[in-house]
Amino acid sequence: MTCACTIVPKSVLERLAVDRRFPARARQAAANSARVSDELRLLRTQALSLTRTTHAAGARLLTLAAAPELLVYDCRHTQSLPGRLVAKPKTARDSTVKRAWTATGAVATFYRQVFRRNSIDGAGMTLASSVHYGVDFNNAMWNGSQMVYGDGDGRIFLDFTRGIDVIGHELTHGVTQHTLQLDYSGDAGGLNESLSDCFGAMFQQWQSGQDVHAASWLIGAQIMGPAAKAKGYTCLRNMSDPADVRCLAPQPTRYGDITPGTDPHYSSGPPNLAFCRACKSAGGRSWETVGPVWYAAMTTGGPQPQLTMPQFAARTRQAARQLYGARSAIVAAVDDGWTSVGL
Amino acid sequence: MDRLDIERLGGLAGIGLPGSRIRSQGTLDLARLAPADRAAVYALFSSPPAGTAPQPDAFRYRLTRHTPAGATTIEVAEQHLPAAVCASVRDVLA
Repeated sequence: MTCACTIVPKSVLERLAVDRRFPARARQAAANSARVSDELRLLRTQALSLTRTTHAAGARLLTLAAAPELLVYDCRHTQSLPGRLVAKPKTARDSTVKRAWTATGAVATFYRQVFRRNSIDGAGMTLASSVHYGVDFNNAMWNGSQMVYGDGDGRIFLDFTRGIDVIGHELTHGVTQHTLQLDYSGDAGGLNESLSDCFGAMFQQWQSGQDVHAASWLIGAQIMGPAAKAKGYTCLRNMSDPADVRCLAPQPTRYGDITPGTDPHYSSGPPNLAFCRACKSAGGRSWETVGPVWYAAMTTGGPQPQLTMPQFAARTRQAARQLYGARSAIVAAVDDGWTSVGL
Repeated sequence: MDRLDIERLGGLAGIGLPGSRIRSQGTLDLARLAPADRAAVYALFSSPPAGTAPQPDAFRYRLTRHTPAGATTIEVAEQHLPAAVCASVRDVLA
């Protein structure tokens, strides 16, 4: 039996539906699934396509709301999305629901107050989060239209909603989808992941009122479970030292060390380090110095699905000059950051 | 008897990437899978799904099917796999 969200190609389902080697019940289930499989499989592709078409047409989105509505769904340990709507997430007794609601609202406030952005799409898009996804599910993701959080297995990972940087990371995938529209492979994929780490870390620092030197620059520190901690692992990634042996997934530190075809979570190391070093070099608070530069590079100039890392670096250098003036310390900091990773 | 080796890759935690300290692997005897799931797995090998854009932070699965004729490996996104196959892997720390 496939899970409810499994999207088996329609041709396969149709083949199963008429294959008499399988019980009648299985054939019927396959036939039923075939009826909706195309629509399910295309949901995410359509979401991306809609975003791209809207931008290509030059259409400006009408504002849905002054601030986004926040919805939380409970998957009840199934993989059926979005799950069951939670009536009053703000006051829910379920701490996971409450955390998802609270942190999502905080990320929305962060984008609104710091970058004057109204939700993911800039037009008040409703923010939907599904929690308790699957059983012991060790992941969180953005599926093209909403956030999805697993509970973790309690051993290697804790509940993924415990990481406010994780929530900032996932929501930023949505912002990227509505701005640069980066692909999820090659340089663009690494940038896609890096932007989510940069803004996730920045959000965490903003919420804690931390300056760049007080910040840990660790991604996922709050979701590390007892078994991972017992082995000395402190985080998923360390933006200030991507090769850190205490990371569960160490990364390269130089652009030239990225080999073609590697996963975006690996290739995001150099741009993460460039951002962190630029922030440290500039000093102060990341969201007041280098953050606006990265945001400008992300949101101005239109979609660039296949943007390369050298091109993004050039964008940030240009944005820094425009925002702060050619001789500013921020321009020098951004340049130092990229130069240190070979860009 | 056909055997399926499964390796889960990627996700927010970058499971199974170069240098990663976490691996997620499993093995299944295909004969023990439910008929519909088994058929779905065989269909993946005969016509791997193409087309849909990868989902940020979603898992990918590397599947190796061992038959008397040899081994074949494919890589597919999580949404294409039967839940029983996804559930067959176990995360292990290095």
